[in-house]
Amino acid sequence: MTGAGAASAPASGGDTGGSTDFLYPFLDAEERDQDSLLGDLAASARAKSAESAALRAQTLTECAEQVAAAGAELARRFVAGGRMFTFGNGGSSTDAATLAGLFARPPGAAGARPLPAWSLTADQAVLTALGNDVGFELVFARQLIARAGGRDVAVAMSTSGSSRDLTVAFAEARRRGLYTVGFAGYDGGEFAASPDVDVCFVVRSQSVHRIQEAQALLGYRLWAEVHSCLEGETQR
Amino acid sequence: MSTPGLVEGGLIDEALSADLAGASLMLARRFAAGATLWCLAPAWEPHAHHVAVEFVHPVIVGKRALPAVALTGPDLVATTRVSVRPGDVVLAVADAAEPAVRSIMRRAPAWGASTLWIGSGTRPARGAADHVLWLDDPDPRLPATGGFVLLYHLLWELTHVCFEHPGLLAPSVSDCTDEVCITCSDEGRLGEVVLPGSGLDGALVRTAEGEERVDTTLADPVAPGDLLLVHAGMAITRLDDDRPEVRR
Repeated sequence: MTGAGAASAPASGGDTGGSTDFLYPFLDAEERDQDSLLGDLAASARAKSAESAALRAQTLTECAEQVAAAGAELARRFVAGGRMFTFGNGGSSTDAATLAGLFARPPGAAGARPLPAWSLTADQAVLTALGNDVGFELVFARQLIARAGGRDVAVAMSTSGSSRDLTVAFAEARRRGLYTVGFAGYDGGEFAASPDVDVCFVVRSQSVHRIQEAQALLGYRLWAEVHSCLEGETQR
Repeated sequence: MSTPGLVEGGLIDEALSADLAGASLMLARRFAAGATLWCLAPAWEPHAHHVAVEFVHPVIVGKRALPAVALTGPDLVATTRVSVRPGDVVLAVADAAEPAVRSIMRRAPAWGASTLWIGSGTRPARGAADHVLWLDDPDPRLPATGGFVLLYHLLWELTHVCFEHPGLLAPSVSDCTDEVCITCSDEGRLGEVVLPGSGLDGALVRTAEGEERVDTTLADPVAPGDLLLVHAGMAITRLDDDRPEVRR
């Protein structure tokens, strides 16, 4: 490590470098006893947790109007028989699957009603068939062609906002009349500027991990917003 | 609709941060010794996949890829049993009542595996896993709010910090001087029946040291999957399902 001399510095911000040296400047190169390392690790965990919490709070504030608008449109589409398809790559694909699971199988006995939502990474036969036969950038677009219609919703989660398979899927979703919701990090990437994306939530951070944590909470808030809109519908 | 307590800064307090630190050092030590990390999340399977991809394909370029695998499907106990080798680590993301995870956590010492349990709500019984990373918020929707994602992201980050301290990755001497150390002391070791005995052979039993023949006279009848306390080649007693966990 190269952090010697910064032994008392606090935990730093986002991870942009190729090493956690940048993340843990207070860990110096010398071996120390286990208790010292454990103390440093615990302090780092608390600092990063606080950083994550601050980013989540900031993101919810910045995206509040977008969440309200997207929640209302999703609720309208679900009432009209629309369905939701979520997708992403790597860790973001799992967060997209968790979001689909929250919509389709909301936990809690007195919970909200289940809504039709699926992750497009769930079927390895479909994914590998498409990846092998037509190319990876079409793995989601081709599933939308097969399954989705004009009342449906496409949700892509990404940290860069620029993954080719996702932007291609959004272009297809646009052609088919879907409502499109993008989750991105950094400066929003291609999602932020794309006419194919109706609502783009941007988590303004340089850390893939912190971006994903904030996106998960945003997704939860979107789900909660959909249900408060649906409750409003049934009361009318 | 309220948001589970994730906006406030207090998500990871002093105690949980210490738990994370201890779990990360254990995990780094096990990886350094050749372990595979087996990830389970029966009710929220995407979390198992997220943990695995985090370790296998790090988001920070230059960090080493580590063997981690998500286990999914219908019979998680059997799938985990056949996958785990001595020295491996089993990580579950599940609430404390999840039957398959409870069963796997009880059996893990017989498989020679260390255990790490991430969850929320009511805590598992004391000692139910080697390391418990727990959010006490009882909201059942917490698994979908990013709280667990934060926990396993930090676990990954801290584990990689430990790799920068190679001198601390060898098993510490203190691990083998505790009075409860199962390997070194006279205390019974946990075993899982592979095959019941026949004739004078005794039952074939899996323990942290491998498979061995064990006299089950005091515990008969035994069936495959039964957990036994083994002492000096003899099964002292059979442990019924969901009895308080053996000390470890």
